[in-house]
Amino acid sequence: MGLLIATALPGQLSAEILTGKEEQTGLRTWEWRQAGISIQLVQRSPDQTRAFFQGRGFSPKDADSIALACVFQTIFRNDGQQPLSYDLNEWQITYQDERFPLQTRERWEQNWLDRAVQQAARIAFRWSLLPTRQSFAPGDYNWGMTSFGLPPGASFDLSLVVIVNGKSISGQIPSVVCAVDLP
Amino acid sequence: MFRLLLSILIAIFSSLSIAQQAGRGLTPLPDRPPAPDFVLADMDGNQHQLSSYLGRVVIVNFWATWCPPCRAEMPSMQRAWEQLEKEGILMLGIDVGEDEDTIFQFTANYPVEFPLLMDLDSSVIDQWPVRGVPTTFVVDPKGRIIYRAIGGREWDDPELLALVRALKQ
Repeated sequence: MGLLIATALPGQLSAEILTGKEEQTGLRTWEWRQAGISIQLVQRSPDQTRAFFQGRGFSPKDADSIALACVFQTIFRNDGQQPLSYDLNEWQITYQDERFPLQTRERWEQNWLDRAVQQAARIAFRWSLLPTRQSFAPGDYNWGMTSFGLPPGASFDLSLVVIVNGKSISGQIPSVVCAVDLP
Repeated sequence: MFRLLLSILIAIFSSLSIAQQAGRGLTPLPDRPPAPDFVLADMDGNQHQLSSYLGRVVIVNFWATWCPPCRAEMPSMQRAWEQLEKEGILMLGIDVGEDEDTIFQFTANYPVEFPLLMDLDSSVIDQWPVRGVPTTFVVDPKGRIIYRAIGGREWDDPELLALVRALKQ
């Protein structure tokens, strides 16, 4: 992990954004924190993602379609004192002044059914993505991939919503960048 | 300048710890739902039916070899198993969607002695209230789900084990 820089966003007094870069890989990270809640995005290089999914039964072509969909490893933790829940269908990205939804498990699943991807590969895919909906008690967390459907190198803003003890909290992680596809 | 450096160091170390640390505690499920029954084979070909373990406390862990927090908690699960087995408490690891060869390779690096079951078609995990792995449940001797933990834990934590042991009749 390289240098991390904390930024407080206007209007979100208690939220904190940390950015960094992993020294060995050069992969960049973004983290949103508020009241003990942490959502960390770590770039996955397209080659990492290709290798992962080809190793779990996807054809090179199908693995490539995931790898080029702007995939991040995501670590979502509730280290606060209140229960929380989220629904990725309520999150959005802004890219070139347009808003788009996240590519959730369910959105990908129909694609795999249409392409007759084998069951073992579909199971691995489903469980390797961050759950679309989740409820965390204090102390719970998940790791999982998130995909944003943008080309390598694209920059976007992520708008997120978390329900903490029944209260909706909105946040934004600005200027997130998809990993580039090295030749 | 000193304050800036201190802030940066705090940010670095707190970020690293957040990414790597285990979760904490066990969450009680207030409605104590019945644990969905299953029959699954372990790595040695033995069949395990959950309902046949009525009368015992059972820890049911859903995991996969490719899942970093699942791998991270395996050594502590083994240490917990070394204490709990002789007390009659059972621990079952249910791998989701992977075959025997894959799990066998995994155990070369993460040796565990508690049963590892294979849910090849994910039909069992789909019956349980699981949205991400690892998720672990503690089932009481009456077959009810009492606790849930989403994400990895340090399973040999004495406070956590005390909650599990307290469920014994």
